[in-house]
Amino acid sequence: MSQAADSFSGRFRRWARKRSIWVFHVNAASCNGCDIEILAALTPRYDAERFGVELVPSPRHADVLLVTGTVNAQMKDRLRDVYEQIPEPKHVVAIGACALGGGVMKGCYNVGHGIDKVIPVDLYIPGCPPRPEALLFGIIKLVTGEPPDRREE
Amino acid sequence: MNLTPLLVAEILLFPGLTFFVFMAFILEWLERKTAARVQGRRGPVVAGPFGIVQPVADFFKLSMKEEIVPEESDKFIMRWGPPLYFAAPAAGLVFVPVIALSALIQNQFDLFFMFFILSFTTLMASLLGYASAGRYSTVAVGRLVLQYSSYEIPMLLSMIVPAVLSGKLSLSGIVAAQSGHWFVLFAPVGFAVFIIAALAELEKPPFDIPSASTEIVGGWMTEFSGNTLAYVKLTKNLSYVFLSALSATLFLGGPQGPIFVSGAMAAVVLHTFYFTVKLLFVAFLIFAIRTALARVKIDQATRLFWTILTPLALVQLGVAVILGW
Repeated sequence: MSQAADSFSGRFRRWARKRSIWVFHVNAASCNGCDIEILAALTPRYDAERFGVELVPSPRHADVLLVTGTVNAQMKDRLRDVYEQIPEPKHVVAIGACALGGGVMKGCYNVGHGIDKVIPVDLYIPGCPPRPEALLFGIIKLVTGEPPDRREE
Repeated sequence: MNLTPLLVAEILLFPGLTFFVFMAFILEWLERKTAARVQGRRGPVVAGPFGIVQPVADFFKLSMKEEIVPEESDKFIMRWGPPLYFAAPAAGLVFVPVIALSALIQNQFDLFFMFFILSFTTLMASLLGYASAGRYSTVAVGRLVLQYSSYEIPMLLSMIVPAVLSGKLSLSGIVAAQSGHWFVLFAPVGFAVFIIAALAELEKPPFDIPSASTEIVGGWMTEFSGNTLAYVKLTKNLSYVFLSALSATLFLGGPQGPIFVSGAMAAVVLHTFYFTVKLLFVAFLIFAIRTALARVKIDQATRLFWTILTPLALVQLGVAVILGW
């Protein structure tokens, strides 16, 4: 870790980023299973707002992009567009088996095998669909752990 | 009027800018917490005790992010609009009495300046929305202007009521005329009309038509990011403080309270306490309504303001003229 990142302003900056995670959700050809689980994570029972997570309507407000579903040929460019509209620093979370590697669609002629073939992914949450606990576990990883450095691409 | 160093310090620090920005953060936290508790959730917990510094974390996180300015946008307005937009409620709040019965800056015709501030805020919002040149922002600005043309008349009419009752046009004069009997007792309808119009001015449900996230993405704020978004969001919260402070001043007696003590320091503390309690009461009223109700359609909102609230405000004004005689 560099000197600058350990200074007071650096620590403050990291604190602010960890405590305020605004997510934007993209359904990249998902079956809606994972999307329902994302919504469930925001409902009273799990309440992701406790950790400062907020679902924002515009990608320009977002810090974290939640992607569900296997990215098919039509969705690829749109997903890249949305990713590029999010201001830096940004993270991408891939949710569900399809987003990780194709899932049950693996081997189909028109599906991409995992969204990390299209945009860089920072956090993988497996499951078909993942339970809200798993989503919250991933969010807490982002909150308490060091946010993973964005890979250089 | 001469600017002494003490007055400058007061404007910048305690009853001025810093105090009201602090109140803006507190109000956002209270709003999120209340909404969460009504919905059976916890709201922000992790950031600070009871999540109280959550809005601060949001603000600084946004201000440290990259700022994307759309290619087709008007760069000049995108650059200088947000400071002007922020300045409007901040300038209005200086005229509100907090620590004493008279405000930091006052003149005979404060109330007209308040009218100007209220329209200027909406004007800057629509300018910013158009300047960002997004499709959703353009749709939202159309809705914003239509909503503004519906709620402005009842709002201004209800703001005239305290002026008629007190015979003064300055906020300090209106506060001074309310010792012992607050105007909400004589003008409950005017107070109600003002609160409903304030909901529309703040774009809160049931009048969040210009920023309906289920219909037009982020409303007129869709294209903003980074620093601009941080200041626009802070300004919306500051307008929240401004309107709560204005209704506390016009109808609830401002810093007036039941017990008065002699001694300068104690009077300052008591006045600030009464004012803050009233401001929080009005803000709480606004977010109780906000949490409980769903969005109305734009034609329903216009019909409500033009055919129900405007006649009510006019009747209230007539009653006030008779009472003030």
